Amino acid sequence: MSKEARPSWDSPMQFVLACVSYAVGLGNVWRFPYLCQMHGGGGFLIPYLLMLVLEGIPLFCMELAIGQKMRLGSIGAWTAISPYLGGLGIASVVTSMYLCLYYNVINAWSFWYLFHSFQSVLPWAECPINTNRTGYLEECEVASPTQYFFYRETLNISSSIDENGGIHMGQALCLLLAWIIVYLFIVRGVKSTGMVVYFTATFPYVVLIIYLIRGVTLHGAWNGVKYMFTPKLEQLANPQTWINAATQIFFSLGLGFGSLIAFASYNHHNNNFERQAVAVSLINSGTSVFASVVTFAIYGFKATFNYESCLERMRLLMLNTFDLSEETISAENVTEWIHHLNVTYPEKFASIASKIEDCSLQAELDTAVEGTGLAFIVYSEAIKNMPLSQLWSVLYFVMLLLLGMGSMLGNVTAIITPLGDIKFLSRTLSNETINGLVCLLCLLLGFGFTSRSGNYWFTIFNEYAATLSLLFIVFIEVVSVCYVYGLRRFEKDIEDMLGHRPNWYWKVMWAAISPLLLFSLFIFYIINYIQGGTPTYQAWDKNLGKSVVQEYPVYGQAFIALLLASSLSCVPLAALYAACRKKQRGTSLRQHAVNTVTSTV
Amino acid sequence: MLAGALLLIFLSPLVAQDLCKDSKDGFKVRLSIKTALGNDAYEWNESEMFLFRSTVAYAMRKQTKQDTYDITNILVCNDTQRVSFVFVVTSPDDPANMIPKAEVEKAVRLNKHRINSAFLLSDMTLEFVGIPPTLEAPITYETQPWLIVFGVVIGAVAIGIVALLMSTASKKRRAKENAAGLSEEDEGIVKENGTALSGLGGREGVFNQAFSNDDRFTQL
Repeated sequence: MSKEARPSWDSPMQFVLACVSYAVGLGNVWRFPYLCQMHGGGGFLIPYLLMLVLEGIPLFCMELAIGQKMRLGSIGAWTAISPYLGGLGIASVVTSMYLCLYYNVINAWSFWYLFHSFQSVLPWAECPINTNRTGYLEECEVASPTQYFFYRETLNISSSIDENGGIHMGQALCLLLAWIIVYLFIVRGVKSTGMVVYFTATFPYVVLIIYLIRGVTLHGAWNGVKYMFTPKLEQLANPQTWINAATQIFFSLGLGFGSLIAFASYNHHNNNFERQAVAVSLINSGTSVFASVVTFAIYGFKATFNYESCLERMRLLMLNTFDLSEETISAENVTEWIHHLNVTYPEKFASIASKIEDCSLQAELDTAVEGTGLAFIVYSEAIKNMPLSQLWSVLYFVMLLLLGMGSMLGNVTAIITPLGDIKFLSRTLSNETINGLVCLLCLLLGFGFTSRSGNYWFTIFNEYAATLSLLFIVFIEVVSVCYVYGLRRFEKDIEDMLGHRPNWYWKVMWAAISPLLLFSLFIFYIINYIQGGTPTYQAWDKNLGKSVVQEYPVYGQAFIALLLASSLSCVPLAALYAACRKKQRGTSLRQHAVNTVTSTV
Repeated sequence: MLAGALLLIFLSPLVAQDLCKDSKDGFKVRLSIKTALGNDAYEWNESEMFLFRSTVAYAMRKQTKQDTYDITNILVCNDTQRVSFVFVVTSPDDPANMIPKAEVEKAVRLNKHRINSAFLLSDMTLEFVGIPPTLEAPITYETQPWLIVFGVVIGAVAIGIVALLMSTASKKRRAKENAAGLSEEDEGIVKENGTALSGLGGREGVFNQAFSNDDRFTQL
């Protein structure tokens, strides 16, 4: 029987770059610097690197080994390991599907910002003027121009999840573009993906280096970098630090989606994945640290700029209220003058007391932001104050796009590889058609995120769709490989592929430490959900100009439960189905599994 | 008579000052010359005040289209170190009467840019307290610039996809023709379950360390 050969990467370098491009994503830029700031700056590196060694590298290596050995996508690979575990693959595909739906919306926003950078004045630099030209729009006055541009012009956000609105046409167009580009990258499977990853994996580093040079030469950047690297070692006593380090490593490497299994399934049988796993994990963590240096340089610049503007405002206030000559107060002695004037003219001072602000560089640096707020609001605010801001804006959003697109490649590959393995589908439709249908389906469902309340649904997906389920999936993965498939059998497979058995480090991690860590993280998440009460979200209030906390309505909570249940339940349901089929068909199921395992040698 | 004349001379500025100080129709003006010009800042003196009064008189002339406004109609008081003061405008027909605030505001708003450029200042650094600056109209585009960039990018991507799909289709067509013509030669090609070896393109194979003649196992 002649079958069409499974496509493979043109070189091991393509595989490594694909893994790097997938693992190095937006989380490295917008989550790690936040965690660093919250948990004691340089001191956070200690739990972070420890967790990398304890769970990151071993689990990464394990997924690559499974993919390379089974040479199938996640559904086929787990069915081969044990016929009762096909649900694990299905859970991975479902989680990847949810991720694809909402992740590309971020790319759509990046496109929107990128296209809007080609103007003489960046649209988020100034507030738009109101109709009678006497001042700025009220919503923009209470918030800031960057927040206004993000919440009003980019999202046109409604004030709660209940208020739906029409679809934002600009967002819809950008989402369409994002999906067409994803399709272009994956249309020919690994052949096209392999070409693209040369660019998506390397160019972000070029931009990061350029930004590093620009960042450290900005006025006040050193304040931010110093702030980051001053370790506050007392944070190490806080258990939250360790939990956040473990979850960050886990999610940053992209385990459990099936993307790594899919990528590795296109490898040659003797590819040295062990070395590559260590390399990619270290590159991922190194990039996180590198990106946070850049982020903190930018933070320092923004904080210093705000601090100096605050001092200037206070200086003007003093000069205007007390009618002093301009040379008397300078930026350095503003605080002394405030104190002096308070003492000398208490009544007059009391009349302006409401306008006095406490200018503190420390307070500015302490404002920690993560996620889309960091990427689209804080960064664009810093960029608008740089000279030649259009150029920096274009560079920055191109980098965000490449990081996001690179991760999307892995996410979509995790869906199309198992689908392509299903004989029934690959016989009736060509690969290009299957890929196109997947992209089209995700695009149509993704339009829901471009409506006026879309950002709130985005937050639901971001927080619940891929967190608990992934921990569960990877925990079951590592337990089933070690105890259901058998650690000895796994060792032999690795020896077959690499030529040597895995040493004690791998075996100890796979058999004991990583499952323990994952289990405790899983329990911690569940406790957090239960203790947290009704889940809440941040809704944008346009009259106050800031986000307020609101509780999810009943249907929102039901949707969250559905999201979690739909991926978690795949595992037991599929196992039950397999058990029923086995009872019906007798021993033919076991025979089929044995054939699949031995024929892939 | 001399006493009367002297009284008149000394009294009029005093009266003028009273008009200015007591008036509710006055505007406070604030100049931030050093902030605006730094090292090129000029000294604020009587001549600069003279210039200010003449620009306001000019604004009143343009607004009311009466050429009778003169510098004596502009009264200034409460001069401070900050370089801030209060001014009022008196009617040219009756120096005891003051022009209402609204009129003066209209005049200043219309000619603000002329007054600013006379002093090399801007709306931020030459403030009339109570008169908000007229902001520039926003730039309106016929086609939004972002749509243009979007159109270019999506056009390029669409061309890329069409080219890729066409090349795939033509490759498949050529493969079908070859397969039809060369079906006898198929048996010569070894297909090993469609695994990695067929992707090696006819090389000898891959050196698998597990089966090597490693010396350390054979020595006794």
